Amino acid sequence: MSSKASVQPSPPHAASSAAATATKIVVRAVNKTFARKNDELVVLQDVNLDVAEGEFVCLLGPSGCGKSTLLNIIGGFDAPTTGTVEIDGEPVRGPNPRRVFVFQEYGIFPWASVWDNVALGLRDRPKDEQHRIVDHYIELVGLKGFERAYPAEISGGMKQRVAVARALAVSPDVIFMDEPLGALDSLTRLSMRAEILRIWQQERMTILFVTHDVDEALQLADRIVVMSPRPGRIAEIVPVEMSHPRDVGTAEYGDAKNRLYELLGVSHQF
Amino acid sequence: MSLWPYVVLTLAAVVFVLARHLGDPWPKVLLPVGTAAAFVAGWHLTCEWLAYDLKQLDGTMRHIELFPTPYQTLVGMERPIVDGTLLRYAVASVYRVAVGFTIAALLAIPIGLLAGWHLRAFQAINPLIQALRPISPIAWIPLAVLWFGVKDSSAVFLIALASFFPIVTGTIAGVRSIPLVYVRSAQNFGLEGFELFRRVVLPAAMPQILISLRIALGIAWMVIVAAEMIAVDSGLGYLIMDARNASNYDRVVGAMIAIGLIGVGLDYGMRQLETFDEVRWGFPKESEAVRNWNIRVAIGGSVRLDK
Repeated sequence: MSSKASVQPSPPHAASSAAATATKIVVRAVNKTFARKNDELVVLQDVNLDVAEGEFVCLLGPSGCGKSTLLNIIGGFDAPTTGTVEIDGEPVRGPNPRRVFVFQEYGIFPWASVWDNVALGLRDRPKDEQHRIVDHYIELVGLKGFERAYPAEISGGMKQRVAVARALAVSPDVIFMDEPLGALDSLTRLSMRAEILRIWQQERMTILFVTHDVDEALQLADRIVVMSPRPGRIAEIVPVEMSHPRDVGTAEYGDAKNRLYELLGVSHQF
Repeated sequence: MSLWPYVVLTLAAVVFVLARHLGDPWPKVLLPVGTAAAFVAGWHLTCEWLAYDLKQLDGTMRHIELFPTPYQTLVGMERPIVDGTLLRYAVASVYRVAVGFTIAALLAIPIGLLAGWHLRAFQAINPLIQALRPISPIAWIPLAVLWFGVKDSSAVFLIALASFFPIVTGTIAGVRSIPLVYVRSAQNFGLEGFELFRRVVLPAAMPQILISLRIALGIAWMVIVAAEMIAVDSGLGYLIMDARNASNYDRVVGAMIAIGLIGVGLDYGMRQLETFDEVRWGFPKESEAVRNWNIRVAIGGSVRLDK
């Protein structure tokens, strides 16, 4: 990410004045094993990762490489077997409304309207404040006019927009995205990528984004954490220097893509 | 021998053919009407076929009927309808079901929510529930009469008992099948304790709770008849028993029909709950289900995936 990001005001709790370059998330020597009948399954092995404030980081890897497990550990839904995760210098003890998940299966509530879903994290605020914030983010994700609709009545892409608006409404420092576009058709996926990028450039929160799609990672991330499976390890961390919007036709993009395919151990020359 | 059943059967056949050629909403209206008319005609014909003449000892012939015809049933119901007995008994039965069912729901839903959510509560309660559940409510009738006497409370107790188990098991299953992603979302946004139950656990399980309520009400309506045959002296079950004791089988069958029709009404009432915005997501529309079914048929009936 470029240093231009510092035009955005930093969150009040950010200790450092150089907010855009302060370290937000520190993952140290994280191992995760699951006990099986006779042995142990090593899901994550010696994972170390620093994520800067306002950075967009993609975790890229094949199924079973532990990238979702790593995200769940950083997000507080799961505990590491050994090792530590700190956010803002505090050890992670559980999920926190300042750090919000967007799931592949949306996770929005089918029994509540679009408006009520987006208002979930604001339930303790005064009504007028709720209205101001919810209406703002519903408009930001392009769902104006669908406030009273129920999730069953809208498309998959719109559901994921609701989940994004619900996350943004609490002004989180970090958004965790676990293959958020995985359930969408390929065209909707492309437009949602552009939307997420636009929102991130506007709000500049830290985003940790899990995907197995090389193009998705290349189009979105400041840095790509390439993971390899069995046991899940970080194979390499690849910085992406290209500025947004990224031109997928350039030689630089093609080279980066080749490099990622190589790291993932697959050839794309069919 | 009467001619009208054959006319009705012919008309029903015409209606069925017509329903095939007319578009919506006609089949939905015509098909059940045609089937019901054919049923009544078939009922009458069966009665005629089964009736026979018996030569008695004094040499005279006697006409023996094993089952009242539709017309005889109607005539047999004339008096209970006109003097208000039928209405009074129907109200008595519905009232007992309403009270017993409400008591059961008020107990079973909280217990089901708790046992569905907390693993320890589930482990503690579930085996007991599963052991009590297969005992037919009918088997409790002697104890109910012993405890409550031949009174309303006896029938209410049996209804509550019959309704409790379907509701509690349905609620437990509903809570246990809540997708993890809803619970995680709720925890992520700081919902906990009572608020987590009110905003997520209860609404997420609600469609299945409604289904279990519907099943329980159907069972309760079946059990009330049995309970009223023994444990009280009013109600539709009592009407059947009373008519039987008077060898008035026209009225026995008439009461059975009344029970069936009221059962349809109760079920229809329960189903209206499924149309609320908060639970509609759990009930795919009928048209949708029909469309899926049509697609399955269009692609060749049962598709073997294991081959």
